[in-house]
Amino acid sequence: MSRILWGAWAAGFGLLLSGVEVCAAQTQTETHFGNLTGKAAAGKQEYRRYCVGCHGPAGDGNGENAQWIDPKPRDFTAAVFKCRSTPTGTLPTDEDLYHSVSRGFVTTNMPPWVPLTRQARVNLVAYIKTFSPKWQAQGPGTPITVPPETPATPESILHGRELFQKMECWKCHGPAGHGDGPSASTLTDSKDRPIPPYNFASGSRFKCGETNPDLYRIFMTGLDGTPMPSFADQLQPADAWDLVHFLRTLQPLPTPEAAVWHAWLPTHAGQLKPIGPPEGQ
Amino acid sequence: MRTNLVSCLALSAAATAAIGAVSRPATNPGTITGHVTFTGTPPKMRPIDMAKEPSCAKQHSTPIMTESVVTGPGNALGNVVVYISAGDQSAGAPTQAVRYDQKGCEYIPHVAVLQVGQPLEIYNDDQTSHNIHPLAKVNSEWNKSQPPGAPPIKATYDKPEFIAVKCNVHPWMHGNFAVLTTPHHALTGQDGTFALEGLSPGKYTVTAWHERFGTQTQEVTVEGGKPATADFVMKATPY
Amino acid sequence: MIDWPVTRRSGYRWARRSALILGGGLCAALVPSVAAMTPAHGHESAAAILTGDRDRTGYEAYVVARGGVLPVSTRSALAAHKAAGIPAFARKYGLPCSACHTAWPELNAFGQRFRDNGYQLGNDRDSPIWVNPSYIPFAVRTTPQWRLERTTHQPVDAVPGDPASGTVERTITQSGFDISGADLLMLGTLYKDITFGFVPTVEDGEGVGIEAAFVRFDNLFRSPWANLKFGKFEMDNMLSEKRSLMLSSNGTFYQSYHFVPVGDGTDFGLGDNQIGAEWLGHSANSYTRFSLAVLGGTDGVPGLPSGKTYDGAVTLSQAFDAGRLGLQRVGAYAYAGRRPTVFETTGGEPIGGTGTDNRSFYRVGVVGDFFIGNFELLPLFMHGSDDKDLAGGSQDPTWNSGLLELHYYISPQLILTQRSEIIRMSQQALPATSENLGNIDAFTFGYRWYPIMFSRAGLAFLGELSFTKTIGTVPLSGAGVGLDPLSPDTAVKSTSVLLALDFDF
Repeated sequence: MSRILWGAWAAGFGLLLSGVEVCAAQTQTETHFGNLTGKAAAGKQEYRRYCVGCHGPAGDGNGENAQWIDPKPRDFTAAVFKCRSTPTGTLPTDEDLYHSVSRGFVTTNMPPWVPLTRQARVNLVAYIKTFSPKWQAQGPGTPITVPPETPATPESILHGRELFQKMECWKCHGPAGHGDGPSASTLTDSKDRPIPPYNFASGSRFKCGETNPDLYRIFMTGLDGTPMPSFADQLQPADAWDLVHFLRTLQPLPTPEAAVWHAWLPTHAGQLKPIGPPEGQ
Repeated sequence: MRTNLVSCLALSAAATAAIGAVSRPATNPGTITGHVTFTGTPPKMRPIDMAKEPSCAKQHSTPIMTESVVTGPGNALGNVVVYISAGDQSAGAPTQAVRYDQKGCEYIPHVAVLQVGQPLEIYNDDQTSHNIHPLAKVNSEWNKSQPPGAPPIKATYDKPEFIAVKCNVHPWMHGNFAVLTTPHHALTGQDGTFALEGLSPGKYTVTAWHERFGTQTQEVTVEGGKPATADFVMKATPY
Repeated sequence: MIDWPVTRRSGYRWARRSALILGGGLCAALVPSVAAMTPAHGHESAAAILTGDRDRTGYEAYVVARGGVLPVSTRSALAAHKAAGIPAFARKYGLPCSACHTAWPELNAFGQRFRDNGYQLGNDRDSPIWVNPSYIPFAVRTTPQWRLERTTHQPVDAVPGDPASGTVERTITQSGFDISGADLLMLGTLYKDITFGFVPTVEDGEGVGIEAAFVRFDNLFRSPWANLKFGKFEMDNMLSEKRSLMLSSNGTFYQSYHFVPVGDGTDFGLGDNQIGAEWLGHSANSYTRFSLAVLGGTDGVPGLPSGKTYDGAVTLSQAFDAGRLGLQRVGAYAYAGRRPTVFETTGGEPIGGTGTDNRSFYRVGVVGDFFIGNFELLPLFMHGSDDKDLAGGSQDPTWNSGLLELHYYISPQLILTQRSEIIRMSQQALPATSENLGNIDAFTFGYRWYPIMFSRAGLAFLGELSFTKTIGTVPLSGAGVGLDPLSPDTAVKSTSVLLALDFDF
């Protein structure tokens, strides 16, 4: 009787385990984006053709050429990604990875892989996910909600400026966003390599996109693996849009926010308190 | 028949360990005490220049020293996490939160010891923003900003790991989270002593971890009522 | 680690098989024949005499006009200098060769876009100031080889050494170790959106030539649709001869690109680098591409040797994302030009640059680049016509040609290639000429194996077998004696075997 009990228990548990394993294998080798299904096996062929030189055959960012390039290529085995729509500490969605591959990363050696077919890129995303067991263990996070953008009025930009001061963005990014804040020179990424903060005055695209919603996501999810934290716990969505509008005025680009700001500035510049350390310091 | 039932129950217990089971109270609890010292030359601790953060600098009449190696009289080694790494029957996370403060631009305590699933509360007691960036590799790595006056940041970790913590804005700030599975742990002070209490009789593996000098283990047997000791001698290197 | 050993093992397997195929093909090619004796056709055309470059008819006419005997050299009379994979780019950007090349030197979609964008990745890291100061935009390609050339029906002296003994037709076989010339590839950016290219070629016995020398202004008005190139460069042919995967005498060029009817002195090759200006436009991912070019009428020969004519070229192509199959591309091209027929002379010698009385010619066609997984198909169709006065006839000769090239990518480091090509005259210049004079059938089989593929240098083992059958005239490669067979009805067969080490650093 007890032998049967033992047997039944062990069998049930074994069945449970194998079921979990099959499901995990399924999610590990396939990925979905739009109406496309990416397969890791096909992605491995593409990876070998396009990606090994930098990311390495083991996906750890130690490709043949990695020693000569800066910033270093992504280490997929760590499963820490900069450009996500999901909260800090969680994995990006398949769509986030697809966009990263397609867009590339400006001011790095990661090119925009748009000439590859969509299927090839989706296959690559599926393969990249095989480099870390975290994809199987926890899966992607839940994307944050980006509410509709508020109008870019001088009040919004002014409030954004106050937030830039209060959240102490200037400590790294500098009072004018030139990437020359007091802490900028000592910043290191999670692998203890020096890393500069974004310089708004360069006008280059952000690493994680170029639109206002992209900018919103950058500081509301943080850039994992870098010093850039998430401000999701500290900023309400309306505050976040105000900050987006102000940040746009720091860039030398013909954005609507810059136009509004530069029209308002000549008559109101005197009211502005300088950004930087509080008085008395 | 009875032994079969016991083995069946043991199997069930093992299978459902992840869900969490009630820890069995220790009967006739014993204690492992000990002393952690070092041999060799430890690195010199250096004073921290907080000129870039005047609001913190003025909280320290003299500059504080770096804390990666804290020593005491008689070559005692502080900030060593000593814990039971094998033989511990208890499981389950306590609900008591562990507090981690950022005060005067340093982490207090330097090492926060907590259990898997135990809540961690991180406070910013300073006039400046900090970003709290635990560099987990097994657990998830996250990075959050915490301005002055913000509510505490709450976190838990679900896998055991020793996690380095840093603040990117203030590069001199270094701390650690020691996430353990066992409730039997201790952190040595400057005198290097520790006591692991509430242990039922049995054989245990005790592990001592230091952030610079590595890990050592010892086998210790606890007999009912009698105290057991385990001393550790870490090899210090200047760099 | 990556499955390197698998590649090597499969590479050895295929190398053995290829050797067997080559051996078999070689045996099959041993078909000597003797044709009736008739005088060789002459190709006198003033323009052809002046070009003096690698054009088949021009070279022959030049030699004949000087009363010389054509050297029995099997050096390919046509431009065999190639573009290449450029390890300098791989070194600059840290990408493997296979990122830009299906198999270097052939470009894939990503490499095409890189090239279209002015050899820039577009990540604000392209300007030379971002490059390591010890980096030089310099790459060299050369190909030591063993080869064999066999051509049937070649007119030779009946008794060797005795020009009075009469002419007979024999099969000429030449083989041995050889070296190709070297291409020095210097291409890169001078500044953001200003590209340069300079490709001198060095060939033993022929000195240094300039294959390409150009400057390109990219992304004018910040638009990928406006790019302007000036200098000497390869035209924007979708099927690029300079980036061919085949290197044997008979296999390295597209017959269609260089064909002119027998007796026709038009010096033009669609695969030759031309001098002029080109406006190129492409979409952001280069799926849509077009080019318009105005070129000098000298087939890329500098020094104003010909007349004052200008040629025009248009190319268009569109690529489609076919999901699992891969990227498919279709294109069309048209080239129209004029060549002079009359020159001023001094002492009987034509003066370069003074050509007048221009007559026109054109080439039009469609081309495709299709992928079925790892299998690539490259079909091309062409229709060509030259003016009767350029051809020395009473009516405009016209012809049609078609080719199908197949590549099978066993892996990024092992490729099998095959090409089949036919050219059929539809109207001869002289009504009395037989219908099939000048028709060509050409077949090539080959493999390329890249045992190593690092970003620093490239190496390919290449094996190739190619056959051509030309009716009544010397093969386009100039193999054999370089003279037409004695009878215009003779089918001249030429075989090339090539075993080469193609390296690139």
